[in-house]
Amino acid sequence: MSEREFVIPVGPQHPALKEPESFLFTVDGEVVVDVEARIGYNHRGIEKAMESRNYIQNLYITERVCGICSNAHQTAYTGSVEEAGGIEIPERAKYIRVFVQELERLHSHLLWVGVAAHEIGFDTMFYLVWRDRELVMDLLEEISGNRVNYAMPTVGGVRRDLNKDNFMRYHKILDTVAERTNYYIKVASTEKTILERAVGVGYLGKEDMIRLSGCGPNARSSGVPCDIRKLSPYLIYDEIPFEHIYVDNGDVLGQVLVRVLETLEAVKICKWVLDNIPEGEIAVKFNPMQRLPEGEAAYLVEAQRGELIHYTISDGKNMPYRHKIRAPTMANIPSLIERLKGGYIADIPITLAGIDPCFSCTDRMVFYDEGKDKTWSWTEGELSKYRKEWYSK
Amino acid sequence: MSSPFTTLVAVLIFPGLSFILTYGLWCQWVSRKAAARLQNRQGPLHTGWQGILQPLADFIKLLVNEDITPAAADKPVFNYSPIAVFALPLAATFLIPIQSLTNLWGWDPIVSFEGDLILILFLMSVVILAVFLGGWSSGSLFGAVGATRAALMMLAYEIPLGLVAIGPAILAGSLQISKIVDWQVASVNAFFRAPSIQGLAVVGVLFIGVVIYVICLLAELELKPFDISEAETEIVHGWQVEYSGKKLALLNAGHDVKMVLAAALVTSLFLGGPAGPILPPFVWFILKTTFCVLVLTNLSVLFARFRIDQMVSGAWKYLVPLAVLQVMAVVALSGVI
Repeated sequence: MSEREFVIPVGPQHPALKEPESFLFTVDGEVVVDVEARIGYNHRGIEKAMESRNYIQNLYITERVCGICSNAHQTAYTGSVEEAGGIEIPERAKYIRVFVQELERLHSHLLWVGVAAHEIGFDTMFYLVWRDRELVMDLLEEISGNRVNYAMPTVGGVRRDLNKDNFMRYHKILDTVAERTNYYIKVASTEKTILERAVGVGYLGKEDMIRLSGCGPNARSSGVPCDIRKLSPYLIYDEIPFEHIYVDNGDVLGQVLVRVLETLEAVKICKWVLDNIPEGEIAVKFNPMQRLPEGEAAYLVEAQRGELIHYTISDGKNMPYRHKIRAPTMANIPSLIERLKGGYIADIPITLAGIDPCFSCTDRMVFYDEGKDKTWSWTEGELSKYRKEWYSK
Repeated sequence: MSSPFTTLVAVLIFPGLSFILTYGLWCQWVSRKAAARLQNRQGPLHTGWQGILQPLADFIKLLVNEDITPAAADKPVFNYSPIAVFALPLAATFLIPIQSLTNLWGWDPIVSFEGDLILILFLMSVVILAVFLGGWSSGSLFGAVGATRAALMMLAYEIPLGLVAIGPAILAGSLQISKIVDWQVASVNAFFRAPSIQGLAVVGVLFIGVVIYVICLLAELELKPFDISEAETEIVHGWQVEYSGKKLALLNAGHDVKMVLAAALVTSLFLGGPAGPILPPFVWFILKTTFCVLVLTNLSVLFARFRIDQMVSGAWKYLVPLAVLQVMAVVALSGVI
């Protein structure tokens, strides 16, 4: 570090971060030279907790991995369990899952647009976007009874049905959302102060993005077509006509564009589902004490923030032997660090927010000895021994 | 201002200390409420009618809060700079014509002398110096970055701000604010008696001036497109980050007084000061300055925040040349009329 450089800590507590996470920025004047990320402030031991609960109880845990993508986590979890157990769910349940998932994508992307506007100091847009997001939130509340954790998917189907009488009203609400989104696209692409803060900020090219294996809107903003809904369709996404959105801007403007265009696509998908949903059962019976046959399954879902992987191993009991969650933010952190380097201090918040980080999904723990520079992990037996020693003290 | 008693009343009560402070709280409420309504929010609601007492409540609450001085701070500088940030704009408001105590239709300022406009410009620059020292001495990195940004911003807006303020002074042939106001009143009266093309040209040129002036004031007041030195999401309120309790209350009051001063300067230099028909001067002063506060608020909710490099280069590329051109136009016009 030269004499002109100094270190600015952003986080664990910082207004630009909604969750605790630490980034140490080495800056030269106003220019960022180096970034050091440290995750692990929000570790809750969810994967471990899932190993001691049955498959129905785990529904409630997976839903609480993240507040914004609660439904994505549940969809991925139920998908992996159904695949491991060979459970076939009714056709109508698939449509309802897709409907709720796309509504969740709608509200999440609108939320992100508001947060991004706030990060560049455009509070007016933040308030207006969040006002319109309420339409989607109200719709979700009407369908599921909840504003955050919808508790819609369950192992074997979904828990609540959609009422056909309301479909016309849903169509109207979705039309309003699309209209407002079109207005925000107009504002974001013509307002001078937004363009000044978005064009060329946090640039990362396509090759670098592939090398750093980003995912979700973060990667699609750099021109990498990586939408799981297209690449490896799950539920009924192979039947739905929608466009694979990706742009090659590579900067914050690209991230805004990908998200607002996906918002419009999500509206289209929701309307298609309402038009084409078949009649029938919404769930097959799954007993909480039911044992799953031995086996393993991975299930990929395109959550709002990117590719979400749930991997479950069953050893024939009524609870998973191991359940592994790979949240999209985890995959996006390397590319985020590359985006931050060479930018200005003023661009840190918007670049950080650009990947739509969700650190509570991300946090992992490893043991690391700084002096010897080695990492290791503990087996179940070692952890159990540590626990016994700790509590016998 | 004949007797010592009226001078004392003028300095301490009206139109001095108490009035400016109360009026600052009013401006803060107007600004907050207008911004909130423009952003589809309610703004303050609960303290008093439509939350009108909220700024006062905030002030009192901050006075009660714990006052922390960081161990790493340079204590004397850290402690005294809020006082400077509060006192300097307050002193500058004494030079603004608001209302004479002895004559209901008069508007002599408390202090007035040839060249007081220069003193006001000087005081406004010294405020930034106090801001810089306060942020720098706080011992916090965010404070240091915010302070550097405040100083850099001053380099950008101070010159157009000063240049444009000279425009009315050239036309009035005086650097005394009350004489500039008198000139405006006289020429507006003359214009209504005998409208002329030169008069319209003066209005046009001064309009360019007032636009530049308002843009610079947005930066001076650290309002939205130029709140770079505070930038909550970037550097956590910048130079103010380590201040709490009484000192923060003083800083906030200082900001309110600065808002009053800015609105009062626009009013005095471009909008005819406290002069106006039928109503006494202080009522016109309140009406005009409140209008200025509303304009500033409206502008501040319209934009996203600029980056410091964009702001500085934009000011030097556009504002400074425009201000120079405007002064040249004013000089040319002053030869004509």
